[in-house]
Formats: sequence, C-alpha cells, structure tokens
Amino acid sequence: MSSIRRQLLLWLLSGLALAVVVAGARIYVQTLDEANELFDYHLQQMAASLPSDSFSPLPPSSMEELGAGDGLVVQIWDRNGLELYFSRPASRLPQRAALGFSTVETSRGSWRVFSALEQNNVVQVAQPMSVRRNLAAGMALRALVPLLLLLPVLGMLIWITVGRGLKPLDRMASALDRRTPDSLEALPEAGLPREIRPLVQALNDLLARLERALESQKAFIADAAHELRTPLTAVQLQIQLAERATTDAEREQAFVRLKSGQARAAHLVQQLLTLARQEPGITAPVHASVDLCELVRMVRSEYAPMAASMHIGLDIGEQAQAGVSGDFEALRVMLSNLVDNAIRYTPAGGAVDIALRLRGRDAVLEVSDTGPGIPPGDRARVFDRFYRRDETQLPGSGLGLAIVKNIADRHGAAITLEDRTPGPGLRVSIVLPRA
Amino acid sequence: MRLLLVEDDAMIGESVRAGLQQDGFAVDWVQDGRAAELALEANAYDTLLLDLGLPRKSGLDVLAALRRRGNAIPVLILTARDAVADRVKGLDAGADDYLVKPFDLEELAARVRALLRRKSGRADPVVRVGDLILNPATHEVSLAGKPVSLSAREFALIHALAARPGVVYSRAQLEEKLYGWDQEVESNTVEVYVHALRRKLGAHMIQNVRGVGYMVPRQS
Repeated sequence: MSSIRRQLLLWLLSGLALAVVVAGARIYVQTLDEANELFDYHLQQMAASLPSDSFSPLPPSSMEELGAGDGLVVQIWDRNGLELYFSRPASRLPQRAALGFSTVETSRGSWRVFSALEQNNVVQVAQPMSVRRNLAAGMALRALVPLLLLLPVLGMLIWITVGRGLKPLDRMASALDRRTPDSLEALPEAGLPREIRPLVQALNDLLARLERALESQKAFIADAAHELRTPLTAVQLQIQLAERATTDAEREQAFVRLKSGQARAAHLVQQLLTLARQEPGITAPVHASVDLCELVRMVRSEYAPMAASMHIGLDIGEQAQAGVSGDFEALRVMLSNLVDNAIRYTPAGGAVDIALRLRGRDAVLEVSDTGPGIPPGDRARVFDRFYRRDETQLPGSGLGLAIVKNIADRHGAAITLEDRTPGPGLRVSIVLPRA
Repeated sequence: MRLLLVEDDAMIGESVRAGLQQDGFAVDWVQDGRAAELALEANAYDTLLLDLGLPRKSGLDVLAALRRRGNAIPVLILTARDAVADRVKGLDAGADDYLVKPFDLEELAARVRALLRRKSGRADPVVRVGDLILNPATHEVSLAGKPVSLSAREFALIHALAARPGVVYSRAQLEEKLYGWDQEVESNTVEVYVHALRRKLGAHMIQNVRGVGYMVPRQS
C-alpha cells in the first residue's frame, strides 16, 4: 500500500542525501584544487630555500621545519648524478629528468615532485598526493557531518508534519466509519486543508445524490408495499371464502375469484419489476439501434386481437422511416403500455391510431384514441406512480404511465398529452431524438 | 343487521360482501364516496365499513361530513394505510374502529359484532331476553337452556328484534335488516320467518302489533 508519508520521507531524504553527496564532492574537488596550488607553491618555495652550500645531511630537526609533517621528501644530486642528500632514505624517489612539476606513480602511491637546478645541483622536493587528498576529504567531511546529523531530525520533522497534515483525513475516515448506512448527512468542510477540501466536497455531493436515490427507493418500496396490500387482501378474502364454501358451486365460484385475484397480484408484481428495472440509474442504459417502424408493427400485431375483441379499430397512420438509439425491449414496453391504455379506455366502436412521423431531428411516436381523454389539470399527475384518476372505473395498477415516463426519460424523450383533434380523445406524443 | 360497505376495489368489495352475508349480515356495497353518501341518506344502516382511498370523495371526508350531520352510526375503517398517524387520524375523525388490510373475514365480522353490541348499549356478547339466549358470533340459540336450531334468516330476524326488546319494527324495516340490494325480497317472507320463529320459540316470543309491525316484548 502506498503511503504519502513514507513516499515523502523517502523522496525528501533521498534528495537531501544526494544534495549532501554532491556538496561533499564539490567541497572535496575545490579543496583539492586549492591544496594543489598551495602545496605546489610550498614545494617550489622549499626547493628555493634549501641551503645551497649544504651537502651534508641536514639535521633531522631542520627537516621537521621543512615540513616533514606534510610527508615531504628532499633529494639532492650534483650535476653528475651523484647523490648528495636524501632526507628520508627509506622513501627514495627516482630522479626526474625533467625540471619543474610532475606527478609520479610509485609503489607507495602517487607523488607530486618539483625538480629545480640550484647551483649545479639538482634539487627535488616531493610530497605524496595522499596528503592533499586527505586534507580535501577531511575538509569535505567536516562540512558534511552536521548535515548528515541533521538528516534524521529532518526525517522526523517530515514524518510529524505530514502526519499533522493528514490528520483531517484520519478524522474523516473515523467519522465515516461510525456511520450507519442511512446516515448520509454531509461531512463538515470547515477547517479542512485546501488539498483535501475538493475530496470532501466530491464525497458530500455523492452522499447527497445517494440520499436522494435512497429516498426515492424508500418511497417506491413503501408505495409498492401499500399497493401490494390490495390484491393480497383480495386473495386472502377469496381464500377464506373458498374455505367456507359448502357447495361445489360456491367452491367453484370462490376459486374463479381466487384465480383472478392471484392474476392481478402477479400483474402488479410484474409491473413493479418493470418499473424498478426502468428506474433511472438502476440498470446501465442500452444503446442499440432501434427501428421504430418495426416496433410500431410489432406492437400493433400484438394488440390487434385485443382491439378486435373490444370492437376497436387499431391502425397505423403515418409511418415514416425512423431509427433511434436505445433499448428495443424497453421501447416496446413503453408503446405497448400506451396502446393498452388507449384500447382499454376507448369505448367499443372507437379507434386507436399509432403514428410515426419525423419532426426536424426528432422522431415522434403518437398514440391517439377516441376515449374520454384526460382533462388538462390531471395530465401532469397521471405519470405519478399508483396515481389513478377518480373517474377511472377500469382495473389497473396505476403504474403503466409511470413506466412509460421512466422509459421515455431514459431515452431523453419528451411526452406530451393533448386532446385528439377532432375530439373527443387523447393523443400521446413521444418525441425521441433520432440516432 | 344491515351494513354499508364502501370499497372501491371490486375484488375486495365482492369478497367482503359475500363473507359478511354468510355471517348473516345484509350488506350493501358502493364503490365511491359520493355513492356512499347517497346510500347513507336513503337507508338506515347499523354499521358503516369505510375504505379511505376512495374515488370522488375520500373516506375521511365522508366520515367527517357524516359526523357533522350528527349521524352516530358505528364506523369501521378498512384501509391499507397502516401508519400509526393514519390510524390516529381515522379514529380522531370519528371512526369507532380501524382495520388494516389485509384482514381476516372472521376478525372483520367479530369487530362488526362488537360495534353493534356497543351501539345497543350491551357489553355481554350474547343477547338475553328472558330465558332466550342468542349468540351472534356462533348463531347458537338456546331457550330455557335447550338449544334451538334456526336458519340464518330466522336468526337474523330474531336477533334484530331481540337486540332492542320493546321496540316495534315495521315489516319494511325488518326486510331492510334481512336483505341487501343484491338480494331478492320475496313477498310475505317476514311473515313466513315470524311464523317459523313462533313455532320454534313459542308464540309469546314475538308479538304482532297490528298495523305497525313486530316486537319482542321486554321481559321483567
């Protein structure tokens, strides 16, 4: 699991360590340069200051003065190459042919050598390079040690600061932890760092949407439970009547009633399921290409027998070629519900017409009937779940138009109810954006 | 006893009417609030069974108007609204009892009997007149401790008369108590039942008040 605190610590400390290393390297290189310059000058001075008349070995004490501490070695030859003097016979160096500065690699490391001609003698002063390097390394280390000591302190500071910065997240997490599924009130946004606020705001938006969805689901379930009571009451009463029946005829009648009660409960459950499935946000929207002509033909042939048995003409009027993007099955349910309603509310001898026309970029599905129509004041409410108009004498679940509305909404379609012309009658138009 | 059932759902209305008729009640059934008011004006009912979610006029409105007019008929609300607030509202609007759907036919009949008992000022579940005892719940009848077998209509008739001893009921009133709208009333049926009851319970049990009707005399 990635941790902001650990990542920050790792990267900040790595960066710091790298900076320390780079700084150390720079100090080392710079100090070495300066030491080279300084010691080279020192070597030169030393060669120049050697007593020109001295051919005897110098007393060791004076050699100390000459900087034996710096590892200096002095060698003197005469013109003929005869060795006149070695300050340290143990660390003898080969004689250099060239005069001036040179760097010599020996088995004891590299040496800086300065050779000069002094009154017919060759004077050679040498110093191991390690002296200079040690000096530079020492300088670099002395500069870096305090920084290195600071690293853990910095680490701790980072740890604590990040922890404090993330505290609101912890608080939020534990506040959310304690919540029950139905406590969806917004999280407090006051006193939050700017970096966290967008997260909390987004979370609050989600909570609000969730609450609305939950509310509408609760209302739906309450409505559904209430509505299911009616057919269940009927069934329960019919069962009791069947139990009480003493003659075959009574029993027969009771069972006929019982069956129709059961069919009605089943129809209501079916309608509820359809409605729930078409509820926006419950199922993923389907975007297939739907041929509306085929849809119209299919629904007409499905309802032709019912219309014929009720002596109602069911015809297709204008039929344009139109396709939309959507869910064929859902659109079929939608049109079926409209046609079903139209047929049932139309008196015998009347007519129900289905039409499909184009209007600009839209396809318009129309179902008109010669029934009693719906007064303008009731037109908005008929789409409410379980709303049944007082004048309605026909059995029904009160869900048909709610289902139509849900399906239309899912397809971005607008529904209008208007008087049929010529009246009386109702015309339902569904305006679908064409694919 | 004659009841008015107001229930917009055809299946429930039909079943309740059939069930209560089997229990010996005469039941008239209407399907909306306005029809209920018309029926209440035209007939004398012993109890009103009222659904709340009615077309044209809601059950609560019907009830409120009824009580405003001073009608004291016992009212039993039959509804799917089961929230406590709804029950309280119903009872406070003047209902005597509240039954939530789905309900049991036996319980409905028992509650109707309880309402009728209270209406006639009785606490005793059985009706006693002298040594005649009627049990409305079981339709059992005993005279001086001996069981008597009566048909449903005979029971309904003696029950109506014995519930209020000393009160004279006309033939038309008794017919109303025995038959709902859906039942054919044959001519002189009341006389036929009175005759049968006198034969089974003794001629003194039902007195004929000439030109007015019948009564069960008060027993001292």
